[in-house]
Amino acid sequence: MSSSANPFVNAGRPASSRLSRAAAIVGVGHSDWVGDWKRTRAGEKPSDGYGYGAIAFREALADSGLKRDDIDGLIAGPATAYERLSEVLGIDPRWGDQADAVLSVIKAITAVESGLAETIALVYGNDQRSAKIQYGGPQAMGGDAFLSYVYHAPWGLTSQGALYALTFQAWKHARGFEGDDLGYVAVAQRAWSSMNPNAIQRKRITLDDYRNAPYICEPLRLFDYCQINDGGVALIVTTAERAARLGKPPVYIQGFGRRDLNQGATSLEPRLTDYYRPAQEDCARQAYEMAGFGPADMDMLQVYDSFSVHVPLALEGYGYCKIGEVRRFFREQGIGPGGKLPINTSGGHLSETYMQGWAHQIECVRQLRGECGERQVPNCRHAHYTSDVCGNAVSIVYSR
Amino acid sequence: MTDVVEAVRTPPAVMGLYDGPMWASIREGTMRLQRCLNCGEMQYPPGPVCPHCLSSNLEWQPISGRGTIVSWVVYHRTYLAAYPEPYNVVAVKLAEGPFMASNLEGETPAQSWIGAPVRMVYSTMLDGTVLPRFTLAATSAGKTP
Repeated sequence: MSSSANPFVNAGRPASSRLSRAAAIVGVGHSDWVGDWKRTRAGEKPSDGYGYGAIAFREALADSGLKRDDIDGLIAGPATAYERLSEVLGIDPRWGDQADAVLSVIKAITAVESGLAETIALVYGNDQRSAKIQYGGPQAMGGDAFLSYVYHAPWGLTSQGALYALTFQAWKHARGFEGDDLGYVAVAQRAWSSMNPNAIQRKRITLDDYRNAPYICEPLRLFDYCQINDGGVALIVTTAERAARLGKPPVYIQGFGRRDLNQGATSLEPRLTDYYRPAQEDCARQAYEMAGFGPADMDMLQVYDSFSVHVPLALEGYGYCKIGEVRRFFREQGIGPGGKLPINTSGGHLSETYMQGWAHQIECVRQLRGECGERQVPNCRHAHYTSDVCGNAVSIVYSR
Repeated sequence: MTDVVEAVRTPPAVMGLYDGPMWASIREGTMRLQRCLNCGEMQYPPGPVCPHCLSSNLEWQPISGRGTIVSWVVYHRTYLAAYPEPYNVVAVKLAEGPFMASNLEGETPAQSWIGAPVRMVYSTMLDGTVLPRFTLAATSAGKTP
Protein backbone atom coordinates (compact mmCIF):
# COMPACT_ATOMS: atom_id res chain seq x y z
CA MET A 1 0.00 0.00 0.00
CA SER A 2 1.24 3.44 -0.85
CA SER A 3 0.18 5.32 2.24
CA SER A 4 1.63 4.54 5.61
CA ALA A 5 -0.04 7.04 7.92
CA ASN A 6 -3.80 6.91 8.28
CA PRO A 7 -5.07 10.33 7.18
CA PHE A 8 -8.20 10.16 9.31
CA VAL A 9 -8.33 11.87 12.69
CA ASN A 10 -10.90 9.32 13.82
CA ALA A 11 -8.96 6.24 12.77
CA GLY A 12 -10.59 4.00 15.37
CA ARG A 13 -9.67 0.36 15.70
CA PRO A 14 -10.61 -2.54 13.43
CA ALA A 15 -13.81 -4.48 14.03
CA SER A 16 -13.39 -7.36 16.44
CA SER A 17 -11.53 -10.25 14.84
CA ARG A 18 -14.08 -12.43 16.65
CA LEU A 19 -16.44 -11.57 13.80
CA SER A 20 -14.13 -13.12 11.21
CA ARG A 21 -15.73 -16.41 10.07
CA ALA A 22 -18.44 -16.06 12.73
CA ALA A 23 -21.13 -16.13 10.05
CA ALA A 24 -21.54 -17.62 6.62
CA ILE A 25 -23.72 -17.38 3.57
CA VAL A 26 -25.58 -20.63 3.15
CA GLY A 27 -28.10 -19.88 0.43
CA VAL A 28 -28.35 -17.65 -2.63
CA GLY A 29 -31.05 -17.08 -5.22
CA HIS A 30 -32.25 -14.68 -7.85
CA SER A 31 -35.10 -14.04 -10.25
CA ASP A 32 -34.95 -14.83 -13.98
CA TRP A 33 -32.99 -11.73 -14.99
CA VAL A 34 -32.87 -12.61 -18.68
CA GLY A 35 -36.63 -13.19 -18.71
CA ASP A 36 -37.21 -10.05 -16.64
CA TRP A 37 -35.15 -8.08 -19.16
CA LYS A 38 -36.98 -9.43 -22.21
CA ARG A 39 -40.40 -8.91 -20.72
CA THR A 40 -39.77 -5.41 -19.39
CA ARG A 41 -38.22 -4.43 -22.75
CA ALA A 42 -41.40 -5.68 -24.39
CA GLY A 43 -43.41 -3.33 -22.20
CA GLU A 44 -44.65 -5.98 -19.78
CA LYS A 45 -44.54 -5.75 -16.00
CA PRO A 46 -43.59 -9.24 -14.78
CA SER A 47 -43.76 -8.31 -11.08
CA ASP A 48 -43.03 -5.61 -8.54
CA GLY A 49 -40.11 -5.28 -6.15
CA TYR A 50 -41.79 -7.52 -3.56
CA GLY A 51 -42.56 -10.18 -6.15
CA TYR A 52 -38.98 -10.26 -7.48
CA GLY A 53 -37.74 -10.45 -3.91
CA ALA A 54 -40.11 -13.34 -3.15
CA ILE A 55 -38.89 -15.32 -6.17
CA ALA A 56 -35.26 -14.81 -5.15
CA PHE A 57 -36.06 -15.74 -1.53
CA ARG A 58 -37.73 -18.99 -2.60
CA GLU A 59 -34.63 -19.87 -4.63
CA ALA A 60 -32.27 -19.02 -1.79
CA LEU A 61 -34.25 -21.12 0.69
CA ALA A 62 -34.17 -24.10 -1.68
CA ASP A 63 -30.43 -23.57 -2.25
CA SER A 64 -29.74 -23.56 1.50
CA GLY A 65 -31.88 -26.55 2.40
CA LEU A 66 -33.47 -24.49 5.16
CA LYS A 67 -37.20 -24.07 5.72
CA ARG A 68 -38.93 -20.73 5.93
CA ASP A 69 -39.60 -21.39 9.61
CA ASP A 70 -35.85 -21.35 10.20
CA ILE A 71 -35.64 -17.68 9.19
CA ASP A 72 -35.78 -15.41 12.24
CA GLY A 73 -34.26 -12.26 10.75
CA LEU A 74 -34.97 -10.27 7.60
CA ILE A 75 -33.19 -7.41 5.90
CA ALA A 76 -35.06 -5.72 3.08
CA GLY A 77 -33.21 -4.04 0.24
CA PRO A 78 -33.54 -0.30 -0.32
CA ALA A 79 -36.43 -0.50 -2.80
CA THR A 80 -38.90 -2.36 -0.59
CA ALA A 81 -40.38 -1.59 2.82
CA TYR A 82 -39.30 -3.98 5.56
CA GLU A 83 -42.73 -4.52 7.09
CA ARG A 84 -44.49 -5.20 3.81
CA LEU A 85 -41.70 -7.49 2.60
CA SER A 86 -42.00 -9.54 5.82
CA GLU A 87 -45.73 -9.70 5.26
CA VAL A 88 -45.34 -10.83 1.64
CA LEU A 89 -42.81 -13.49 2.64
CA GLY A 90 -44.95 -14.65 5.58
CA ILE A 91 -42.30 -14.10 8.24
CA ASP A 92 -42.50 -12.67 11.77
CA PRO A 93 -38.80 -11.87 12.33
CA ARG A 94 -37.11 -11.58 15.71
CA TRP A 95 -34.96 -8.87 14.17
CA GLY A 96 -35.06 -6.91 10.94
CA ASP A 97 -33.82 -3.89 9.07
CA GLN A 98 -33.47 -2.25 5.69
CA ALA A 99 -30.07 -1.84 4.04
CA ASP A 100 -28.14 -1.77 0.80
CA ALA A 101 -26.25 -4.74 -0.59
CA VAL A 102 -23.02 -4.51 1.31
CA LEU A 103 -24.26 -3.04 4.58
CA SER A 104 -26.96 -5.70 4.78
CA VAL A 105 -24.29 -8.40 5.02
CA ILE A 106 -22.40 -6.52 7.72
CA LYS A 107 -25.60 -5.87 9.66
CA ALA A 108 -26.47 -9.54 9.39
CA ILE A 109 -23.09 -10.59 10.79
CA THR A 110 -23.44 -8.31 13.78
CA ALA A 111 -27.01 -9.50 14.40
CA VAL A 112 -25.99 -13.15 14.18
CA GLU A 113 -22.94 -12.66 16.40
CA SER A 114 -24.91 -10.76 19.05
CA GLY A 115 -27.73 -13.30 19.05
CA LEU A 116 -30.38 -10.86 17.86
CA ALA A 117 -31.18 -13.41 15.17
CA GLU A 118 -29.73 -16.73 14.09
CA THR A 119 -30.66 -17.11 10.45
CA ILE A 120 -31.26 -13.99 8.41
CA ALA A 121 -32.67 -13.58 4.92
CA LEU A 122 -31.33 -10.62 2.93
CA VAL A 123 -33.87 -9.91 0.22
CA TYR A 124 -33.62 -7.43 -2.62
CA GLY A 125 -36.35 -6.79 -5.17
CA ASN A 126 -36.58 -3.87 -7.55
CA ASP A 127 -38.87 -2.99 -10.45
CA GLN A 128 -36.67 -0.02 -11.39
CA ARG A 129 -36.84 -0.69 -15.15
CA SER A 130 -40.58 -1.27 -15.56
CA ALA A 131 -41.33 1.49 -13.05
CA LYS A 132 -39.09 3.83 -15.07
CA ILE A 133 -37.14 4.95 -12.01
CA GLN A 134 -35.08 8.04 -12.82
CA TYR A 135 -31.47 8.02 -11.69
CA GLY A 136 -31.08 11.50 -13.14
CA GLY A 137 -33.17 14.64 -13.39
CA PRO A 138 -34.40 16.95 -10.65
CA GLN A 139 -36.44 14.09 -9.12
CA ALA A 140 -33.49 11.66 -9.17
CA MET A 141 -33.89 8.56 -7.01
CA GLY A 142 -31.76 8.90 -3.89
CA GLY A 143 -31.85 12.70 -3.85
CA ASP A 144 -33.33 12.66 -0.36
CA ALA A 145 -30.29 10.75 0.90
CA PHE A 146 -27.57 12.30 -1.28
CA LEU A 147 -27.96 16.04 -1.80
CA SER A 148 -25.43 16.02 -4.67
CA TYR A 149 -27.91 14.01 -6.78
CA VAL A 150 -30.25 16.98 -7.02
CA TYR A 151 -28.36 20.07 -5.89
CA HIS A 152 -26.72 20.84 -9.25
CA ALA A 153 -29.89 20.38 -11.32
CA PRO A 154 -30.16 24.08 -12.30
CA TRP A 155 -26.89 23.65 -14.23
CA GLY A 156 -28.09 20.44 -15.91
CA LEU A 157 -25.89 18.18 -13.77
CA THR A 158 -28.29 15.53 -12.56
CA SER A 159 -27.22 12.07 -13.67
CA GLN A 160 -25.11 9.52 -11.82
CA GLY A 161 -23.20 8.94 -15.04
CA ALA A 162 -22.18 12.59 -15.15
CA LEU A 163 -20.94 12.53 -11.56
CA TYR A 164 -18.68 9.56 -12.34
CA ALA A 165 -17.69 11.13 -15.67
CA LEU A 166 -16.46 14.16 -13.69
CA THR A 167 -14.46 11.89 -11.39
CA PHE A 168 -12.97 9.96 -14.29
CA GLN A 169 -12.02 13.11 -16.18
CA ALA A 170 -10.10 14.48 -13.20
CA TRP A 171 -8.52 11.09 -12.42
CA LYS A 172 -7.36 10.36 -15.95
CA HIS A 173 -5.87 13.84 -16.19
CA ALA A 174 -3.96 13.31 -12.94
CA ARG A 175 -2.74 9.86 -13.96
CA GLY A 176 -2.05 10.48 -17.65
CA PHE A 177 -4.53 7.71 -18.44
CA GLU A 178 -5.80 7.42 -22.02
CA GLY A 179 -9.59 7.67 -21.93
CA ASP A 180 -10.14 4.77 -24.32
CA ASP A 181 -8.15 2.45 -22.06
CA LEU A 182 -11.21 2.45 -19.84
CA GLY A 183 -12.63 0.18 -22.54
CA TYR A 184 -10.63 -2.73 -21.10
CA VAL A 185 -13.22 -2.93 -18.31
CA ALA A 186 -16.27 -3.24 -20.57
CA VAL A 187 -14.49 -5.67 -22.90
CA ALA A 188 -13.31 -7.92 -20.04
CA GLN A 189 -16.70 -7.97 -18.33
CA ARG A 190 -18.45 -8.84 -21.57
CA ALA A 191 -16.00 -11.72 -22.03
CA TRP A 192 -17.03 -12.94 -18.57
CA SER A 193 -20.75 -12.49 -19.22
CA SER A 194 -20.49 -14.41 -22.50
CA MET A 195 -20.03 -17.45 -20.23
CA ASN A 196 -22.86 -16.54 -17.84
CA PRO A 197 -26.33 -17.82 -18.77
CA ASN A 198 -27.87 -15.38 -16.28
CA ALA A 199 -26.40 -12.31 -17.98
CA ILE A 200 -28.60 -10.10 -20.11
CA GLN A 201 -25.76 -8.97 -22.41
CA ARG A 202 -23.65 -11.90 -23.61
CA LYS A 203 -22.23 -10.75 -26.94
CA ARG A 204 -18.49 -10.15 -26.69
CA ILE A 205 -17.23 -6.72 -27.65
CA THR A 206 -13.82 -5.43 -28.73
CA LEU A 207 -11.90 -2.29 -27.84
CA ASP A 208 -12.91 -0.97 -31.28
CA ASP A 209 -16.57 -1.56 -30.46
CA TYR A 210 -15.97 0.40 -27.26
CA ARG A 211 -14.27 3.30 -29.05
CA ASN A 212 -16.91 3.42 -31.77
CA ALA A 213 -19.81 3.58 -29.34
CA PRO A 214 -21.24 7.03 -28.72
CA TYR A 215 -20.46 9.19 -25.75
CA ILE A 216 -23.30 9.49 -23.30
CA CYS A 217 -21.66 11.92 -20.92
CA GLU A 218 -18.15 12.49 -22.26
CA PRO A 219 -15.66 11.04 -21.35
CA LEU A 220 -18.00 8.06 -20.66
CA ARG A 221 -19.33 6.01 -23.55
CA LEU A 222 -22.29 3.69 -23.92
CA PHE A 223 -20.45 0.57 -22.72
CA ASP A 224 -19.33 2.32 -19.52
CA TYR A 225 -22.93 2.32 -18.28
CA CYS A 226 -24.78 -0.41 -16.39
CA GLN A 227 -27.83 -2.39 -17.50
CA ILE A 228 -30.85 -1.20 -15.53
CA ASN A 229 -33.24 -4.12 -15.12
CA ASP A 230 -36.03 -5.45 -12.95
CA GLY A 231 -35.22 -8.36 -10.69
CA GLY A 232 -34.51 -9.85 -7.31
CA VAL A 233 -31.61 -11.32 -5.32
CA ALA A 234 -31.57 -13.08 -1.95
CA LEU A 235 -28.91 -14.39 0.42
CA ILE A 236 -29.24 -16.31 3.67
CA VAL A 237 -26.75 -15.68 6.45
CA THR A 238 -26.43 -17.81 9.57
CA THR A 239 -23.96 -18.74 12.28
CA ALA A 240 -20.81 -20.65 11.35
CA GLU A 241 -22.07 -23.45 13.62
CA ARG A 242 -25.36 -23.86 11.83
CA ALA A 243 -23.75 -23.37 8.40
CA ALA A 244 -21.51 -26.37 9.00
CA ARG A 245 -24.58 -28.61 9.39
CA LEU A 246 -26.11 -27.65 6.02
CA GLY A 247 -25.70 -29.24 2.64
CA LYS A 248 -23.71 -26.71 0.62
CA PRO A 249 -20.17 -25.64 1.52
CA PRO A 250 -20.45 -22.51 3.71
CA VAL A 251 -18.99 -19.27 2.40
CA TYR A 252 -17.61 -17.41 5.40
CA ILE A 253 -17.48 -13.68 5.90
CA GLN A 254 -13.77 -13.46 6.58
CA GLY A 255 -13.38 -9.70 6.94
CA PHE A 256 -15.00 -6.37 6.27
CA GLY A 257 -14.28 -2.66 6.43
CA ARG A 258 -15.88 0.69 5.82
CA ARG A 259 -14.98 4.36 5.57
CA ASP A 260 -17.18 7.21 4.35
CA LEU A 261 -16.00 10.51 2.91
CA ASN A 262 -18.86 12.89 3.59
CA GLN A 263 -17.05 16.22 4.06
CA GLY A 264 -17.62 18.36 0.98
CA ALA A 265 -19.76 15.62 -0.56
CA THR A 266 -22.45 17.88 -2.04
CA SER A 267 -19.89 20.11 -3.75
CA LEU A 268 -18.29 16.92 -5.17
CA GLU A 269 -14.89 17.76 -3.66
CA PRO A 270 -13.96 14.28 -2.35
CA ARG A 271 -14.71 12.62 -5.68
CA LEU A 272 -12.63 15.17 -7.59
CA THR A 273 -9.52 15.58 -5.46
CA ASP A 274 -8.53 12.09 -4.29
CA TYR A 275 -11.22 10.12 -6.17
CA TYR A 276 -12.36 8.48 -2.89
CA ARG A 277 -8.94 6.86 -2.45
CA PRO A 278 -8.46 7.77 1.25
CA ALA A 279 -11.77 6.03 2.03
CA GLN A 280 -10.86 2.99 -0.03
CA GLU A 281 -7.45 2.68 1.61
CA ASP A 282 -8.86 2.88 5.11
CA CYS A 283 -11.65 0.44 4.25
CA ALA A 284 -9.05 -1.92 2.75
CA ARG A 285 -6.83 -1.67 5.83
CA GLN A 286 -9.71 -2.72 8.09
CA ALA A 287 -10.95 -5.51 5.83
CA TYR A 288 -7.49 -7.01 5.21
CA GLU A 289 -6.53 -6.79 8.86
CA MET A 290 -9.68 -8.61 9.91
CA ALA A 291 -9.34 -11.18 7.11
CA GLY A 292 -5.72 -11.85 7.97
CA PHE A 293 -4.49 -11.37 4.39
CA GLY A 294 -4.48 -8.80 1.64
CA PRO A 295 -4.91 -8.19 -2.08
CA ALA A 296 -2.12 -10.58 -3.14
CA ASP A 297 -4.14 -13.49 -1.72
CA MET A 298 -7.44 -12.66 -3.41
CA ASP A 299 -8.49 -15.00 -6.19
CA MET A 300 -11.04 -12.57 -7.56
CA LEU A 301 -12.38 -9.07 -7.10
CA GLN A 302 -15.99 -7.97 -7.43
CA VAL A 303 -16.40 -4.22 -7.82
CA TYR A 304 -19.70 -2.34 -7.64
CA ASP A 305 -19.80 -1.06 -11.21
CA SER A 306 -22.70 1.23 -11.95
CA PHE A 307 -20.07 2.64 -14.29
CA SER A 308 -16.82 1.09 -15.48
CA VAL A 309 -14.94 3.93 -13.77
CA HIS A 310 -15.29 2.17 -10.42
CA VAL A 311 -12.86 -0.56 -11.50
CA PRO A 312 -9.67 1.48 -12.10
CA LEU A 313 -10.34 3.49 -8.94
CA ALA A 314 -10.77 0.29 -6.92
CA LEU A 315 -7.54 -1.21 -8.27
CA GLU A 316 -5.60 1.77 -6.91
CA GLY A 317 -7.61 2.33 -3.78
CA TYR A 318 -7.63 -1.25 -2.52
CA GLY A 319 -3.95 -1.82 -3.19
CA TYR A 320 -4.15 -4.09 -6.25
CA CYS A 321 -1.81 -1.84 -8.20
CA LYS A 322 0.34 1.18 -7.62
CA ILE A 323 -0.92 4.69 -8.28
CA GLY A 324 -0.68 5.42 -11.97
CA GLU A 325 -0.28 1.79 -13.03
CA VAL A 326 -3.85 0.85 -13.86
CA ARG A 327 -3.24 1.03 -17.61
CA ARG A 328 -0.32 -1.36 -17.33
CA PHE A 329 -2.34 -3.61 -15.05
CA PHE A 330 -5.17 -3.82 -17.62
CA ARG A 331 -2.75 -4.60 -20.44
CA GLU A 332 -0.21 -6.83 -18.75
CA GLN A 333 -1.99 -8.53 -15.84
CA GLY A 334 -5.49 -8.67 -17.21
CA ILE A 335 -8.89 -8.61 -15.51
CA GLY A 336 -10.88 -10.83 -17.89
CA PRO A 337 -10.93 -14.62 -18.33
CA GLY A 338 -7.39 -15.93 -18.05
CA GLY A 339 -6.20 -12.66 -16.51
CA LYS A 340 -4.20 -12.46 -13.32
CA LEU A 341 -7.01 -10.81 -11.37
CA PRO A 342 -10.50 -11.85 -12.44
CA ILE A 343 -12.83 -8.88 -11.92
CA ASN A 344 -16.63 -8.98 -12.03
CA THR A 345 -16.70 -12.57 -13.24
CA SER A 346 -20.47 -12.54 -13.82
CA GLY A 347 -20.22 -9.56 -16.15
CA GLY A 348 -21.22 -7.22 -13.32
CA HIS A 349 -23.63 -4.36 -13.61
CA LEU A 350 -22.24 -3.53 -17.05
CA SER A 351 -23.23 -6.85 -18.61
CA GLU A 352 -25.03 -9.21 -16.22
CA THR A 353 -27.67 -6.94 -14.67
CA TYR A 354 -27.82 -3.89 -12.42
CA MET A 355 -28.90 -5.28 -9.07
CA GLN A 356 -27.22 -2.54 -7.01
CA GLY A 357 -24.41 -4.76 -5.75
CA TRP A 358 -26.58 -7.67 -4.61
CA ALA A 359 -25.77 -9.90 -7.57
CA HIS A 360 -22.03 -9.34 -7.02
CA GLN A 361 -22.33 -11.04 -3.64
CA ILE A 362 -24.02 -14.16 -4.93
CA GLU A 363 -21.37 -14.39 -7.64
CA CYS A 364 -18.73 -14.44 -4.86
CA VAL A 365 -20.61 -17.26 -3.17
CA ARG A 366 -20.98 -19.31 -6.34
CA GLN A 367 -17.34 -18.88 -7.33
CA LEU A 368 -16.19 -19.94 -3.85
CA ARG A 369 -18.47 -22.98 -4.03
CA GLY A 370 -17.11 -23.83 -7.49
CA GLU A 371 -20.53 -23.60 -9.15
CA CYS A 372 -19.69 -21.26 -12.02
CA GLY A 373 -19.15 -23.69 -14.86
CA GLU A 374 -17.37 -22.22 -17.85
CA ARG A 375 -16.48 -18.98 -16.07
CA GLN A 376 -15.28 -20.67 -12.86
CA VAL A 377 -12.13 -19.13 -11.37
CA PRO A 378 -9.85 -22.13 -10.72
CA ASN A 379 -9.44 -23.04 -7.04
CA CYS A 380 -11.18 -19.89 -5.84
CA ARG A 381 -10.53 -19.52 -2.10
CA HIS A 382 -10.91 -15.81 -1.37
CA ALA A 383 -13.17 -13.25 -3.05
CA HIS A 384 -13.15 -9.53 -2.31
CA TYR A 385 -16.34 -7.54 -2.90
CA THR A 386 -16.13 -3.81 -2.68
CA SER A 387 -18.32 -0.83 -3.39
CA ASP A 388 -17.63 2.88 -3.27
CA VAL A 389 -20.84 4.67 -3.97
CA CYS A 390 -20.88 8.37 -3.16
CA GLY A 391 -17.75 8.12 -1.07
CA ASN A 392 -18.99 5.23 1.07
CA ALA A 393 -16.24 2.66 0.69
CA VAL A 394 -17.30 -0.76 1.99
CA SER A 395 -15.61 -4.11 1.50
CA ILE A 396 -16.32 -7.71 2.37
CA VAL A 397 -13.85 -10.56 2.06
CA TYR A 398 -15.52 -13.92 1.49
CA SER A 399 -13.62 -17.17 2.01
CA ARG A 400 -14.26 -20.87 1.78
CA MET B 1 -45.81 31.97 -24.36
CA THR B 2 -46.46 30.22 -21.06
CA ASP B 3 -46.02 26.89 -22.82
CA VAL B 4 -42.72 27.99 -24.33
CA VAL B 5 -41.41 29.06 -20.95
CA GLU B 6 -42.65 25.84 -19.38
CA ALA B 7 -40.83 23.79 -22.05
CA VAL B 8 -37.50 25.41 -21.20
CA ARG B 9 -38.02 25.67 -17.47
CA THR B 10 -34.70 25.65 -15.66
CA PRO B 11 -34.49 22.58 -13.40
CA PRO B 12 -35.41 23.89 -9.96
CA ALA B 13 -32.80 24.66 -7.34
CA VAL B 14 -32.92 22.88 -3.99
CA MET B 15 -34.32 25.49 -1.66
CA GLY B 16 -33.39 24.62 1.89
CA LEU B 17 -33.57 27.14 4.69
CA TYR B 18 -30.08 28.51 3.95
CA ASP B 19 -30.24 28.52 0.13
CA GLY B 20 -32.63 31.47 -0.17
CA PRO B 21 -30.16 34.28 0.60
CA MET B 22 -27.62 32.80 -1.83
CA TRP B 23 -30.12 32.70 -4.70
CA ALA B 24 -31.30 36.22 -3.87
CA SER B 25 -27.69 37.43 -4.14
CA ILE B 26 -27.33 35.61 -7.49
CA ARG B 27 -30.41 37.37 -8.84
CA GLU B 28 -28.82 40.66 -7.81
CA GLY B 29 -25.66 39.76 -9.76
CA THR B 30 -23.29 39.40 -6.80
CA MET B 31 -23.18 35.87 -5.44
CA ARG B 32 -22.72 35.68 -1.70
CA LEU B 33 -21.71 32.75 0.47
CA GLN B 34 -21.47 32.40 4.23
CA ARG B 35 -18.08 33.14 5.74
CA CYS B 36 -17.40 31.88 9.25
CA LEU B 37 -16.41 34.81 11.46
CA ASN B 38 -14.74 32.38 13.87
CA CYS B 39 -12.38 30.49 11.54
CA GLY B 40 -12.66 32.43 8.28
CA GLU B 41 -13.74 29.53 6.05
CA MET B 42 -16.44 29.86 3.41
CA GLN B 43 -18.90 27.07 2.65
CA TYR B 44 -20.90 25.84 -0.35
CA PRO B 45 -23.65 24.82 -0.34
CA PRO B 46 -24.91 27.10 2.43
CA GLY B 47 -25.65 25.50 5.80
CA PRO B 48 -26.66 26.09 9.40
CA VAL B 49 -23.17 26.06 10.99
CA CYS B 50 -19.56 26.20 9.84
CA PRO B 51 -18.53 22.60 9.07
CA HIS B 52 -14.91 23.47 9.85
CA CYS B 53 -15.41 24.71 13.43
CA LEU B 54 -19.18 24.30 14.12
CA SER B 55 -19.58 28.02 14.79
CA SER B 56 -22.98 29.60 14.09
CA ASN B 57 -21.34 32.98 13.62
CA LEU B 58 -21.68 33.19 9.84
CA GLU B 59 -21.87 36.26 7.61
CA TRP B 60 -23.02 36.45 3.98
CA GLN B 61 -20.16 37.94 1.95
CA PRO B 62 -19.70 38.43 -1.80
CA ILE B 63 -17.33 36.03 -3.51
CA SER B 64 -14.63 37.15 -5.95
CA GLY B 65 -16.04 35.09 -8.82
CA ARG B 66 -12.56 33.77 -9.57
CA GLY B 67 -11.88 30.07 -9.78
CA THR B 68 -10.13 27.21 -11.54
CA ILE B 69 -11.64 24.30 -13.46
CA VAL B 70 -11.12 21.01 -11.62
CA SER B 71 -13.06 18.75 -14.02
CA TRP B 72 -15.54 18.89 -16.87
CA VAL B 73 -17.93 16.73 -18.88
CA VAL B 74 -19.94 17.15 -22.07
CA TYR B 75 -23.43 15.68 -22.24
CA HIS B 76 -24.23 14.03 -25.57
CA ARG B 77 -27.77 13.17 -24.58
CA THR B 78 -30.65 15.46 -23.84
CA TYR B 79 -32.29 14.72 -20.50
CA LEU B 80 -33.73 18.14 -19.73
CA ALA B 81 -35.60 20.54 -22.02
CA ALA B 82 -33.54 23.48 -20.78
CA TYR B 83 -30.35 21.61 -21.67
CA PRO B 84 -30.33 20.26 -25.24
CA GLU B 85 -27.18 18.30 -26.05
CA PRO B 86 -24.35 18.97 -26.38
CA TYR B 87 -23.75 21.00 -23.25
CA ASN B 88 -21.01 21.03 -20.65
CA VAL B 89 -20.76 20.94 -16.90
CA VAL B 90 -17.65 22.13 -15.10
CA ALA B 91 -16.51 21.65 -11.53
CA VAL B 92 -14.78 24.81 -10.35
CA LYS B 93 -12.65 25.38 -7.28
CA LEU B 94 -13.58 28.88 -6.15
CA ALA B 95 -10.77 31.20 -5.07
CA GLU B 96 -12.46 31.20 -1.65
CA GLY B 97 -12.00 27.42 -1.33
CA PRO B 98 -15.29 25.60 -1.96
CA PHE B 99 -15.98 23.56 -5.08
CA MET B 100 -18.99 24.41 -7.22
CA ALA B 101 -20.61 22.74 -10.24
CA SER B 102 -21.67 25.02 -13.08
CA ASN B 103 -21.34 25.53 -16.85
CA LEU B 104 -18.61 27.11 -18.99
CA GLU B 105 -19.97 29.67 -21.43
CA GLY B 106 -18.36 30.96 -24.61
CA GLU B 107 -14.94 29.82 -25.70
CA THR B 108 -13.73 26.45 -24.42
CA PRO B 109 -10.10 25.38 -24.02
CA ALA B 110 -8.66 23.52 -27.00
CA GLN B 111 -7.03 20.81 -24.89
CA SER B 112 -7.70 19.78 -21.30
CA TRP B 113 -9.91 22.19 -19.43
CA ILE B 114 -8.42 21.24 -16.09
CA GLY B 115 -6.52 24.04 -14.43
CA ALA B 116 -8.04 26.76 -16.63
CA PRO B 117 -8.75 29.97 -14.68
CA VAL B 118 -12.33 31.15 -14.95
CA ARG B 119 -14.47 34.02 -13.77
CA MET B 120 -18.13 34.05 -12.83
CA VAL B 121 -20.80 35.53 -15.08
CA TYR B 122 -24.54 35.72 -14.50
CA SER B 123 -26.73 34.16 -17.19
CA THR B 124 -30.44 34.73 -17.50
CA MET B 125 -32.19 31.58 -18.67
CA LEU B 126 -35.22 31.68 -21.00
CA ASP B 127 -37.56 31.32 -18.04
CA GLY B 128 -35.90 34.22 -16.24
CA THR B 129 -33.83 32.16 -13.79
CA VAL B 130 -30.42 33.72 -13.17
CA LEU B 131 -27.57 31.23 -12.94
CA PRO B 132 -23.98 31.82 -11.88
CA ARG B 133 -21.80 30.41 -14.66
CA PHE B 134 -18.22 30.81 -15.77
CA THR B 135 -16.17 31.98 -18.74
CA LEU B 136 -12.48 31.53 -19.31
CA ALA B 137 -10.61 34.29 -17.52
CA ALA B 138 -9.28 36.72 -20.15
CA THR B 139 -5.78 36.47 -18.75
CA SER B 140 -5.49 32.74 -19.45
CA ALA B 141 -6.74 32.83 -23.03
CA GLY B 142 -4.77 35.97 -23.80
CA LYS B 143 -7.84 37.41 -25.43
CA THR B 144 -11.35 38.44 -24.56
CA PRO B 145 -13.84 35.58 -24.92
